[in-house]
Amino acid sequence: MTTGTTRTADEAPLFGPESQFRAFFDDPRWALAMIRATVLEAAHPQIGAALVDNSTFIAHPWRRLRNTFLSMRRMFGVDPAVREREAARLNRLHARMSGSDSRGRAYDAMDRATRAWVVATLFESAITMCRLSGQPLDQDTMERMYAEYRAFLAALDGDAAELPDDLNDFWRYFDRVVENELENTEAARVILYRLFDHLPAPALLDGAPALWAAGRAVAGPLLGAITVASLPEPYRRKAGLPEMPGAPTLMQGAYLAAGLARFLPEGWINAESIIEVLSLSPGSDDPRARTVTALHARMKRASALLRLLTPLSGDAAPDPAPSAGTGESRRSAEEFFRKVLDQTGDGHLDWPDLAAMARELSTRLDLDEPEETRLYEAFAAWWRELQAALDTDGDGRVSADEYAAAVPSLAGPALIRVAEVLFDVTDKDGSGTIDAHEYRTLFRTAFHRDLTTTDGAYGQSAFVGDFLSFMSGRRTSTPYDPLLADA
Amino acid sequence: MRAVPRHVACVMDGNGRWAQRRSLPRTAGHRAAETTVIDVIEAARGAGVEWLSLYAFSTENWNRPGAEVDYLMRLVRRVVRKHAPLLFARGIRCRFLGVADPRIPRELARDFDDLATLTADNRGMTLTVAFDHGGRRDIVEAARSLIRSGTPADEVTERLFANHLPFPDTPDVDLVIRTSGEQRISNFMLWQVAYAEWVFPEVLWPDFRAPDFLACLHTYRRRDRRFGGVPPRTNGDPA
Repeated sequence: MTTGTTRTADEAPLFGPESQFRAFFDDPRWALAMIRATVLEAAHPQIGAALVDNSTFIAHPWRRLRNTFLSMRRMFGVDPAVREREAARLNRLHARMSGSDSRGRAYDAMDRATRAWVVATLFESAITMCRLSGQPLDQDTMERMYAEYRAFLAALDGDAAELPDDLNDFWRYFDRVVENELENTEAARVILYRLFDHLPAPALLDGAPALWAAGRAVAGPLLGAITVASLPEPYRRKAGLPEMPGAPTLMQGAYLAAGLARFLPEGWINAESIIEVLSLSPGSDDPRARTVTALHARMKRASALLRLLTPLSGDAAPDPAPSAGTGESRRSAEEFFRKVLDQTGDGHLDWPDLAAMARELSTRLDLDEPEETRLYEAFAAWWRELQAALDTDGDGRVSADEYAAAVPSLAGPALIRVAEVLFDVTDKDGSGTIDAHEYRTLFRTAFHRDLTTTDGAYGQSAFVGDFLSFMSGRRTSTPYDPLLADA
Repeated sequence: MRAVPRHVACVMDGNGRWAQRRSLPRTAGHRAAETTVIDVIEAARGAGVEWLSLYAFSTENWNRPGAEVDYLMRLVRRVVRKHAPLLFARGIRCRFLGVADPRIPRELARDFDDLATLTADNRGMTLTVAFDHGGRRDIVEAARSLIRSGTPADEVTERLFANHLPFPDTPDVDLVIRTSGEQRISNFMLWQVAYAEWVFPEVLWPDFRAPDFLACLHTYRRRDRRFGGVPPRTNGDPA
């Protein structure tokens, strides 16, 4: 809480370590609240359409979670310069998202009213999370928090005019949007019914698919039921969400239990380290990776035991599942399509998939203009090349079948151009080589042992060659895996 | 008397004859073999044998009737799954030698992998199950690997060659037990049996039990004493 006696919006710092927002960062309830807020966002027709078209949260939810988390931390950090830069980056990112939904209504991620709704759901979910866990906030705290969230919107949009000035008016605004504007959108249904059942394992658990699937089979439906029960009643009615007996109790129990974490010693739960560890792949050179590797080995054993203990299903007919690794270093065209190319997870390769790659790369590299635009343009040219070469039925997008039929033609001049631009923007100091530091920025790991490096640097031709072999040769076990393939 | 053999290998012969004598289908003999396998594993562990190898299925066994091969695959899978927790709990490290043929059902190969992963850190006894194994094939594979590694011909020694065999940490076999009175090598771990003692009990594998196994160990130890004057090493590995 603030130490200042006068709590006018001008004097008390709204951002930084003292803010209410920061206080929730490491709160496990925040995870439940974030899911709830995301459903409420997705239920907004404009946001829902944008999510379905552009977001990578189905195919790469963990990467998306990590990016969102880092972005929020920058936005609520102390340094105004960092905040401004992050806001500008988010604005550029959103400016690239517009289109129309399945019913032909236009959406635009820069629409001010829509963006206000995103902030509103975050604020409302934070309040609701405290209410549901039996620790409601007092009026002062709520008002202070509201001011913080309005300041967040103002940092993004220039001003917060789209959100009411006063907290009392906010509730009327919120109820009105829930009643009148929210719909049973595809994106909301995907989050509630599909995401939890198909949530891919984070990098950490990637080697233990059986264990992950077993845990998910229990936790998935539970998370779904908890989230549904915590949504506002008018929306549940409108979207025809089921009222399951016991679900409200379960939901309140979950929030209450998560709220009990406040009795844990300080620092036991640190959202940042949890997210970082989850996205750590066992091969990386992070000091924690050794522990992770050990953990990984134990988990592999646990899932081996689990598989061996699972009763045989009668005279199980041999299932036609993935081909048993013919050639370890190459993945099937189908797998490459699903894990790398189809970033939005809708089963088609489309411009938003390539835009998502460009977005991920420019986020990693923390690009400013004009480098970011250069990268996007290179990807756009690649998309035109792909579309011309692969879209045989002319529906404007590339299906997995079309891709599988034409795999060899993937490495055209535009892809080489993408690699060259990526090299240029990664080579921040323009030295003509990528040094160890620049390499780490892109791949979050040190140079690999078998990398053909000379004097600890990575030249353009080697870089372009590796990128092409990843993109067209479909080689696995490259540093690009954690970058574009990991969930 | 010489010490207990470090590495014992069993050629599990006589399942079919066991069944025929009882007018049962051959498959019944394979099923009956399961009890013996578990018995022998326990006996070996109890007697202080550090390495036990079982010859379960040879590359030549693919020539058997399709129905019998299918049955064997299903049986092995069931046995592996049934005894996995026990093997793990007893501290036995399991691994599978061979398992290269694409005709092996994928689920079975997966179970082999799982059992090997699960028990990889066990140190009690190493159980090597030769499944789809051929001794010559292993030697050819080692030669390939040696050539690929670009070793000059003059530098190839027995030791170096052995390092390219599958599971190079496996010590030479000290004792091979082949049941049912058959006296053949049948392409089994050709490299490793170079200095092995062989015993050929008349009993068929499904009737073979822990006391028979201990009797074979005893034969080995007596045999050693009888030839006590000759080289102190029956095990060719100078290590």
